[in-house]
Parts: sequence; structure tokens; C-alpha cells
Amino acid sequence: MSPSLLVLLAITLVPAAALVVASLTPLSLVDPVGTFHFDDPLGNYRELARDQRFLDSLWTQGKLSVASVALQLGVGLGLALLLNGESRILSAARSLFLVPMVLPPIVVALIWKILYSPDVSPLHRGLDGIGLPVRSLLANPDTALWAIAAADTWQWFPFTMLMVLAALQSMPNDPVEAASLDGANRWQLFRYVIFPYIRPVLVVCGMFRLIDSFKAFPLIYVLTNGGPGTVTEVTNYYGFIQAFNFSYWGYASAIATVILAGVFIMSWLVGKLGWNSHERG
Amino acid sequence: MSEASAVAGKAGSPDVIARPVRRSVTRAGPARPLGRREDDRGGATAPRLVLAGRRNGEDAVAWLRQRLRPAAAVFLLLVSLFPFLWLAQLAFRPSTDIFSEELLFVPTLDGFASLLQGNFVRSFWNSLLTSTLSTLFSLLIGVPAAYVLSRWQFRGRRHVALWILVTRMAPPIAFTIPFFLAYRWLGLQDTVAGLVIVYLTFNLAIVIWLMQTFFEAIPVALEEAAWIDGGGVWQSFWRITLPLSAPGLTATAVLCFIFSWNDFFYALILTRTNAITAPVAIVNFLQYEGWEWAKIAAGGTLVTLPVLIFAVLVRTWLVRGLAAGGLKD
Repeated sequence: MSPSLLVLLAITLVPAAALVVASLTPLSLVDPVGTFHFDDPLGNYRELARDQRFLDSLWTQGKLSVASVALQLGVGLGLALLLNGESRILSAARSLFLVPMVLPPIVVALIWKILYSPDVSPLHRGLDGIGLPVRSLLANPDTALWAIAAADTWQWFPFTMLMVLAALQSMPNDPVEAASLDGANRWQLFRYVIFPYIRPVLVVCGMFRLIDSFKAFPLIYVLTNGGPGTVTEVTNYYGFIQAFNFSYWGYASAIATVILAGVFIMSWLVGKLGWNSHERG
Repeated sequence: MSEASAVAGKAGSPDVIARPVRRSVTRAGPARPLGRREDDRGGATAPRLVLAGRRNGEDAVAWLRQRLRPAAAVFLLLVSLFPFLWLAQLAFRPSTDIFSEELLFVPTLDGFASLLQGNFVRSFWNSLLTSTLSTLFSLLIGVPAAYVLSRWQFRGRRHVALWILVTRMAPPIAFTIPFFLAYRWLGLQDTVAGLVIVYLTFNLAIVIWLMQTFFEAIPVALEEAAWIDGGGVWQSFWRITLPLSAPGLTATAVLCFIFSWNDFFYALILTRTNAITAPVAIVNFLQYEGWEWAKIAAGGTLVTLPVLIFAVLVRTWLVRGLAAGGLKD
């Protein structure tokens, strides 16, 4: 084994192990007595199972992830189909559509902060102009989460678009030609020829985005801070609050361990689905 | 009568035959755009001779269809880039004009100038330094590891691969807690060195992940030839493999830089004043000077610049790198 792999293991495996160890203790910087106390190793986890705020955060996470990933897949797929063509305009558009994905997440958050702030937002001004004033979407508990989902979709639809375009461009022509000669219409062509071909890519895209959506942080931190109340408090954010606002490090470690376990299982599934087929050599 | 109908039949027949063919070709359009134009012309020539009158209308439809896609693409592109363009124009607005209804304004650099006064310049410099160092180190450590993984089979190789994927996917909070606690003891809190080390956690995964695909694309036979010529493994790697994978290496370096540059979470938690990075500085503006939109927008625009420049410079490779499994947070 090369020493570089050892470095990787040292800076990732060791912290991960430390995290799991910390999650077994009531570690808190406010009260140092709890350091290295293993009297009740599973105490944090038992607490988690009873913690309504944690359970709510899982549900919030689920809603946010499913909504934004579904939207990203839909928008990305539609755009990929639209942009898959030989023309200078289309090829330039293919590059420019990637901009939201490359932007620093904090800039994305800033952009949407502006769009959602009634006094500077062009959207709010426009709606005011046509006589349909809307209150701040972020201050309204019914809309705050969906406002974040919209921003997240804007940031990440290019990923699905990119992957689907790559798949479409590697698609053989013959089946499409054969089907169209048989008189298949546009929809049938898509439904029975193109879609089956790109479905695996869509599945992998969805998995990747689903896993990544667990770490949504800048958007929530800048736009809502988890509020109003705890409406937009996802699991990752709840862990952040427990650690860095309340200093309950042991408890926060337990939350992070739960997320890490989820990520681990999903990564394994992605591997199973053949994403990293080259890994198998 | 019979002659006339025969003529009509003859005249009609090419059209009848040509039509379904042409239609099916346009249907195939979206999936197979390369051949469309030629096919279209070929299908259209037959009826052109016979039914010039009816063709005009159909021509218009075909013309529209051809233009419709680029037009729709441009329209959607404008819609999707509008939020970003709005931020950029806000940066050039005079601060007295921020809340005005006017779309037109006299651009000023006041927003950017006000950034010079605070510690934004320092945070920008910190960002540059941290991202560059972290990119360098992750390449130094990660490239040999990727090479090893792509050339030698060993037990546990798949576990290493899975672990790399997990570190790539892991939520930052999982690493932040142990690093935060360790840095308190090691005195690495709020230092550039501390951030550089933390960024290795995700950059190394990216380097190993991406470079492996690039190395695998290089035929082993080339290296073996260098071997036989008397060079060692190290020499063949240095002389043959690395130059051949230079474009991939560039793309990987750019991605590492962008990921480090874009990081917010680690910098938010592990820095306070000394090593603060530009994204954190912008959020501080938002929290403490939330009414100074011109300044905030100017900061946001500046932070975006390096990323956009890099993205344009290496766009083809970037796209390939992103598609190959590198994603940013």
C-alpha cells in the first residue's frame, strides 16, 4: 500500500472513528466531566429515538430531499432532451446552463436571499407591479421549505442535465431509426426507446443527488436558519445546532454518525448499481 | 376525365409517399439531430417539383420547428441565469438606487470600493492561499495513490474504493466535530494550515477517484515499453503516464481548487478572524450589514469570478470531470 493511501485513511478514517467514539459519550465542552465516560454508551442513541425534534428533522429532510431531487431530475431531463442537438446555439447553451452548479454555494444562497427578500427582490417587485403582492416566502412556515427546495433545484438541475446529455450522446442511432421507421411518434420514441436507455443514468443521478442533499447547509443557514420555528431544520442542521450552538458534542456526534451510516449504505447501493464499475477491474 | 385523374394521381403520389417519410424524420429529430437537415432536404425535394403551392405552408412549419428549439433554449437559459445576473447588476448599482424601481442606472464601483476597507481583501487572499495549497497537497498525495489503485490489484482494493466514495459523500459535519475538537488541542483553530488539512478530506477523494479513471485510460503497454528500456516504475510513471494524463490532471486540479474555494461549512466552523475565507466574510456582511446590498452583491460577484474564469478555461475537461463522478458540495 502506498503511503498516500495511509494519509487518506489517517485524515478520514481516524476522525470517523473518533466521531463514533464521541457519540458513545456525553461529551460536552461546557461540562468537561463527560469526556471519556462510557458508562452508558448507547445513551445518546436512545435519546435520539425519543427526541421529537430529531425525528421531525428526519421528516423535514425527507420532504426536502425528495421534492428537490424529483424536480432536479425532471428539469434536468427536459433540458437535456431540448439541448441535445447539433447547433452552435444549443452547444453554447449546454455550457452556460452549468453555471448554477459551479457557483459557490454561498453565492447561490446569497442570490436566493436577494430573490426572497421583498425589498430588493425583482420577483416581489414584479408581483407587486401586477397587483399580486406576496409576503416573504421564507417567513411563511407553509412555504419556507419549498422555497429552499426551489433554490436547491436551481443549483443542481445542471447535474442531471449534464449526465443525461452524456448518455444521450453515447446512445446508438439504430434503435431510434428503426422505431421511427415503424411509425413511432415522438412520445412513443421517448417512452420506449430513449427513456429505457437513459433510465440507469437517471437512477444513479437521483442517488447521488439524494446523498448530497443530506448535507444541504449553506442554503438553510443563510435563508432561514432552520426557521420559522424548526420548519426547515433538516437533520444535518440539527446536528450543527446541537454541536455548535448547544455544545452537546456527544449528542451531535450521534446525529452525525446516523447521517454517516445513511450515506454509507447509500454509497454502497450506488456501487451496487454499477456506478463505479471500473473499480471492479 | 380519366386522363385528368391519372395525372392527379401521379402528381399526388410522390407527395403521399414523401410525407410520412419526412414526418418520421422530423420525429427522429431530437434524438438524431446530425442527419436531420440532410434528410429533411432529401424528403422535401420530391414534392417540391410537383406541388410547389402546398409546400410553402409546410416549409414554414419546418422552418419554425428548426428555430423553435434554439429559441426555447435561449429563453430558458435567460430565465435560469436571471437570478445570477440580478446579483451581478446589484453589485454595480449606486447604494442610493438599490430599492428604486428603475431598471436603468449609472453603474458605479462603490460597492467594490467599500469592500477594500474591511477585512474582505484579507479573506479573499486567505481563500486563494488555502485553495491553492490544498490543491497542491491533494495532488501530491492523491496522484500516486490513484496510480497505485489503477495499476495494482490487492486485497481490500474494493473496500478502499468504497471508503473513498463515502468520504466524497460524507456530510461535512461528520468530519467537523472531530477536527474541531482536535484542533482545539493542536492549536490549529483559525489557521490556514488547519483548513488546508481539512480540505484534504474531500479533495483527496476527488483526486484519487478522478485520476484513477484517467490513468486507466492509458495503455499499460506504453509503460511496459519504458520499463523494458531500462526505466523503473517511477521513471515510466514520471515520463510516460503523467504527461499523457496531463489534461486530466489539469481538470482534477481545477476541480480541487473549485471545491476548496466553494467550501463554506468547514471555514465557518474552523476559522474565526485570522484564517477567515471569502464565503464566510460574505455571510458576515449579510448578518451584520444586511442592508448594504451593493457591498454584499459586490462581494458575491468577486467570489464567483475565479470559479467562472476557471470553468471557462477548462470547460471541456471540467464537464468530463464533473460527469466522471466529481461533484462539489
